[in-house]
Amino acid sequence: MTSALLPGEKPAPGPLTADEQDYLDRLIVRHRGRPGMLLNILEEIQENQPKKYLPLDYLEYLSSRTGIPGAQIFSVATFYALFNLKPQGRHTVCICRGTACHTRGSKALLDRLKLLLGVSEGEDGGSADKLAATTPDGEFTIRTVACFGQCALAPVVEVDHQILGHVNERVLEREVEAVRKGARS
Amino acid sequence: MKKIRDLASFNEAREAGLEKLLPAVPRIAVGMGTCGAGNGAESVFHAFSDSIEQRGVSVQLARTGCFGFCAAEPLVNVWIPGKPLVILQKVRPDDAPAILDHIAAGRIPADLALCRIDEWDHITAHVKFGTGFEEIPLWNEVPFFRGQKKIVLRNCGLINPDDIEEFLAVGGYQALYKALIDSNPAAVIEAIQAARLRGRGGAGFQTGAKWEFLRRAKAEPKYLICNADEGDPGAYMNRNEIEGDPHSLIEGMLIGAFVTGASEGIIYVRAEYPLAVHRLRTAIQQAEEWGLLGEDILGRGFRFHLSLVEGAGAFVCGEETALIRSLEGRAGRPTPRPPYPADSGLYGKPTNINNVETWFNIAPIVLKGPAWFLETGSPKSPGTKVFSLVGKVVNTGLVEMPLGTPLKTFVYDVGGGAPLGRAVKAVQTGGPSGGCIPSDMFDTPVDYESLAQLGSIMGSGGMVVMDEDNCMVDVARYFVEFTHSESCGKCIPCRVGLDKSLHYLSRITHGKGTEEDLKTLDELSRMIRDASLCGLGQTAPNPVLTTMRHFLHEFEDHIRARRCRAGVCEELALSPCENSCPLHMNIPRYLQLLKEDRLEDAFVSVVLDNPLPASTGRVCQHPCDNRCRRAGLDEAVNMREVHRYIADSIYPAPQFEELAARVASLRKPATGKRCAVVGAGPTGLACAYYLALLGHEVMVYDSNPDAGGMLRHALPDYRLPKDVLDREIELIRRVGVQFTFNTRVQEEITLNDLDAQFDAVFLAIGTWKENWVYLPGTELKGVMPALPFLEAVSKGEPTALGRKVVVIGGGNAAIDSARTALRLGSDVTIVYRRERKDMPAIHEEVEAAEAEGAKIVFLASPHRIIGDESGRVKALEAVKTRLGEYDASGRRRPMPTDEIVRVPCDTVILAVGEAVDLDFAKASGLKIKENGLIEVDRYTLATSRPKFYAGGDLITGASNVSNAMGYGKKAARNIDRMLTGEERWTSLWPEFVYDMTVPAHPGASRRHRVREADPLERAKDFREATYGLTTVEAMEEACRCLRCDVRNGD
Amino acid sequence: MPDRVSIRIDGELIHAKLGQTILEAASATGKFIPSLCHLKGLKPVGACRLCLVEVAGVGRLLPSCTTPVQDGMAVTTRSERLDHYRRMILELIFAERNHICAVCVSNNHCELQALAKRLGVTHVRFPYSYPKAPVDATHRQFVLDQNRCILCTRCVRVCAEVEGAHVWDVGGRGVGSRLVCELNRNWAESRSCTSCGKCVQSCPTGALAAKGYAAEEMVKRAETISRLVEAKGARA
Repeated sequence: MTSALLPGEKPAPGPLTADEQDYLDRLIVRHRGRPGMLLNILEEIQENQPKKYLPLDYLEYLSSRTGIPGAQIFSVATFYALFNLKPQGRHTVCICRGTACHTRGSKALLDRLKLLLGVSEGEDGGSADKLAATTPDGEFTIRTVACFGQCALAPVVEVDHQILGHVNERVLEREVEAVRKGARS
Repeated sequence: MKKIRDLASFNEAREAGLEKLLPAVPRIAVGMGTCGAGNGAESVFHAFSDSIEQRGVSVQLARTGCFGFCAAEPLVNVWIPGKPLVILQKVRPDDAPAILDHIAAGRIPADLALCRIDEWDHITAHVKFGTGFEEIPLWNEVPFFRGQKKIVLRNCGLINPDDIEEFLAVGGYQALYKALIDSNPAAVIEAIQAARLRGRGGAGFQTGAKWEFLRRAKAEPKYLICNADEGDPGAYMNRNEIEGDPHSLIEGMLIGAFVTGASEGIIYVRAEYPLAVHRLRTAIQQAEEWGLLGEDILGRGFRFHLSLVEGAGAFVCGEETALIRSLEGRAGRPTPRPPYPADSGLYGKPTNINNVETWFNIAPIVLKGPAWFLETGSPKSPGTKVFSLVGKVVNTGLVEMPLGTPLKTFVYDVGGGAPLGRAVKAVQTGGPSGGCIPSDMFDTPVDYESLAQLGSIMGSGGMVVMDEDNCMVDVARYFVEFTHSESCGKCIPCRVGLDKSLHYLSRITHGKGTEEDLKTLDELSRMIRDASLCGLGQTAPNPVLTTMRHFLHEFEDHIRARRCRAGVCEELALSPCENSCPLHMNIPRYLQLLKEDRLEDAFVSVVLDNPLPASTGRVCQHPCDNRCRRAGLDEAVNMREVHRYIADSIYPAPQFEELAARVASLRKPATGKRCAVVGAGPTGLACAYYLALLGHEVMVYDSNPDAGGMLRHALPDYRLPKDVLDREIELIRRVGVQFTFNTRVQEEITLNDLDAQFDAVFLAIGTWKENWVYLPGTELKGVMPALPFLEAVSKGEPTALGRKVVVIGGGNAAIDSARTALRLGSDVTIVYRRERKDMPAIHEEVEAAEAEGAKIVFLASPHRIIGDESGRVKALEAVKTRLGEYDASGRRRPMPTDEIVRVPCDTVILAVGEAVDLDFAKASGLKIKENGLIEVDRYTLATSRPKFYAGGDLITGASNVSNAMGYGKKAARNIDRMLTGEERWTSLWPEFVYDMTVPAHPGASRRHRVREADPLERAKDFREATYGLTTVEAMEEACRCLRCDVRNGD
Repeated sequence: MPDRVSIRIDGELIHAKLGQTILEAASATGKFIPSLCHLKGLKPVGACRLCLVEVAGVGRLLPSCTTPVQDGMAVTTRSERLDHYRRMILELIFAERNHICAVCVSNNHCELQALAKRLGVTHVRFPYSYPKAPVDATHRQFVLDQNRCILCTRCVRVCAEVEGAHVWDVGGRGVGSRLVCELNRNWAESRSCTSCGKCVQSCPTGALAAKGYAAEEMVKRAETISRLVEAKGARA
């Protein structure tokens, strides 16, 4: 993937570039006819996007090349928590809301983080308990996850895919600050 | 790549693997599951790798999975040829050079060693590591591992999961080989059925029966699916199983495929488990290369293809029909059964789904037979189950136990109880589909049926321990919030029903719930359970129904008293400290007022919240310390000592007169109502004070000639100088409280008299009757109960105290007696039957007693008191105890041993608890409970007799000063409401204006402690043993407050 | 195996065809079991849970729309518990979105409304959610008002199974579930919609309606869908 293929902030309608079509064609061929094909394809598309989301144009093309109805693709893309239909921030801070983390105070961490980054709940129209919100400057996305399965380290926070265990408010502030500074330099 | 096609090539591969597992040189294997990595195992591995390279030593370095003890991560296995395998704990990267030094010398760093393994039963093989290092405990001697039986986790943390040869070396794929050679699918299914293996995903359906359905299905192809979409919050055993031993999963599926005729396999694994996905991909690829997957497996003409699909984050996909829809490229919405997957599953073809752990059990059963499997576990639920033991427990980690093991073994023996000595309240099993089991039911065996009886389920094996700081209403709300957001939305009961359940639960946690809400919630929960389409909806109400069943009083507290005892529900408390304070003092307010240098306002604030701030400032058990959020940064704010400072600065000072007048001026206009308070102890004083402030006429009766009760007569002067108490009582008089002393209820005045003369009566008599234990020799001269002894000393009356004193007990009265006896010049020994940490006395008091020269004998249960010829005490004999099983309080029960200790002495003080003298209450129309205490309404403190209220020791048994005062305060509020028919309580407080912003930089200083007088000097007389904070120290403490009372967005 | 079985419904002996569901067997003999997501001719989904019945010897309640009859089965379609649950489910539907009958095109011709009357739902004990659900009036002939949608998915199924267009599906999950047109397009921009109107005819409430009707004027003919499928089946 090269960044030249990225759609802009607001994806322009219209056909994809030849490279993008080619990429998607190869992806489809690789998974065609296998159980879990649609999930695997969507996961790969999102993973290969720098902004970790599913561009609508891609889904359109996918529908036309596989014959899977667009409504079904949209249904799948909005059903699973992993998929994003909006571009994600440059950095992701993900707070675990699993039971062990909850009993050890993850809600206070989440509240602190929202305050710290100036994000209010439910930006994505999601309910308050399922958060995925991006700061206006596109730097940070705050997410919650049902459980990382890192319960022995509770409470757990993931900052840019790095797991931090036994986090308290001070550690969280320090990490976010470190990432922010790293981002600006 | 050499494909395995016969026994010779099989054995060849095994040999190669054994050489890696037990090489000729030392081997270091770093535990690198996700949990290890989260604790820094990656850098530990690199540190070893660098050091080994630098030194050029011959050491084999490998990665392995997790051995299960997550609290001790990172774990590192060290094996020196001929020696046992040693597991090191909490290894840091900079430990690597020293460890290598030790290994070079044939030694093990003792400080890091967790345990040793001489030999290991891989079930499918037996490995002998060696002998030696006897000073290191064997693995199953470590409490966390004791009682564990590793069948599923047989290889986890011991082999390299990325190396198929190591798996082969420990007997991997042998069961597959056997099944293919025997070529008798029916026999294998029979064996699984005979072993009564039940699905480990939660429902517990017989695995053998499911396989038989698939075998009989006619259509082709048949699919086998492994459900590794572990989505229960609080459960992560499947992740560790895959990360530590992926080939065992593949082998189980291969055997299943062979005997059911399936040709396609799919592992559906959570995308949130990248390491597990990676390890599985590697394992599948290796198995294909070695001829164990694909066409013509092991040269026996059997074909099976295995692929991997990453689940994209939907808990409902744990439901088999939803998982199948997900694989078909649709949203994971379950479909009704019938048709069952065995008839019409993936793409309408016969399909079988089993959980990861179920597949792990297959190879051992095939190899060792069903009879062997039935040896472990309970008859209906044989075998083991892996649990993730997490939450408020010291030893967190993965625990594999035989099914049927009682819950208390998990919580206390393996888990070591809650951290910080808190009391465990409940265990949550089964995640969002399960329920909460209260601590008094911890004898319950953990198996499918027993847990179901309590309304919970075993589920996939999550076990989350909750302590007294967890609110059960919040826990119920939390789980409903989870299932609500994971509901697929297809059926109405689950989609809308859970939304409304969440609404009611949120209302209750916000303090807006009603009794009607509780009833609706119960009805709604039952409907959702009975009417939902799939397992998610059918089980989602379990957390609500079980908490309502076992913890109804917590729901009622939230609704009726607007209280969350655990302090979790923020809307119901000003701040965590206020919530924990029995008097509900507005602690942040007086701290802030002091910080603003407004000492006089601070005093008014304190004394309006607590009429005995100087006394409680010295003797309170300070529950606020345990809840202070500052403790998360360094240490709790010393709130008790700050209000002692504020009180001590005003009472003896000239401003007292003016401030006492200011407080008295807050008294409401006279109501004309008359109230009697029986007992001038802390409970009675608190109640009388507030009733007077509320404008009622108050008369306090006491049998003593003065006020103060236990504060005056049970607390020695060195803890609470009586002039301090006198000044506080003076303020209480100034607001209008009157006293009648030397008057005993039922003798000088009867309850009927009180009833006739007063509009309300509050009973607040203390526990003055000593519990008399049955002990041979208590009739001897020199045996005395603690309270009368302390009372006599406080009144300056003579006591028959000898030179060598033994105190029996571990509460505050025992310690007070001991320190008093020391001051009277005696030699003191305290005998206590449990451990130090179990002592109910304030911890600092125990330390102070020891510093002053008291000896304490722990784990000794008094057996008899021996007298001399003259009938005087000569010695105390006690039976040494050892710690047995855990009791319902979470403490280990002392069990007698043969050993007897004898302490020579001439005095024995019994401080084993006090009781209330209820003689007065008999035939008075007051209902008395079975435990000998007066029955009151929990929320109003009203007794069964109209106009009569009771509080303090009378309703709780012996307690402490602050709790007792809390009841007095609460009673005053309720009595006032009864007398006036209005809720006037909060109007007692004038408005205090002070800064309501969170400090950007809270004070950086550490917690200030009180200074103590030199122990040996202070033990000579009864002068106060501690000095309060200085002005600067008190200010600095106030500045440390984080102001939890300030709400964002207010 | 005989292709006819005998079952008892509310004590009455009934002969049914093997392979029939309980609901089919019951309606063939004129017995009423309430349901909203079921529409004869479409694949049953068991979503509304109104058709739950008690079957002797089975601990849990079974959806009659998907449970096949078995010889000797004894079914109870009315009981205090069933009535209670059904009413509660209807109340939940009313509380979920904005079902304001007075201004609805389907007023007096609405299956939800009729069922509520029949089952005696006189009030809703649950608090209303009042969501802001969108209305799509872009289509030339039809209008979609999500405020009246109960997510029965009849439209989704009729479009995919009968018309073969698969214009509709359900996006999101839980209470956030919404009917979506293709990749979340306006209906007018749909590329697969044939404007056949089957979705409108099958909709039990006023969520899908033809344009140009005032309140109370929209009368739907869901049974035409059933007859169409029957005719197709007979032709094949």
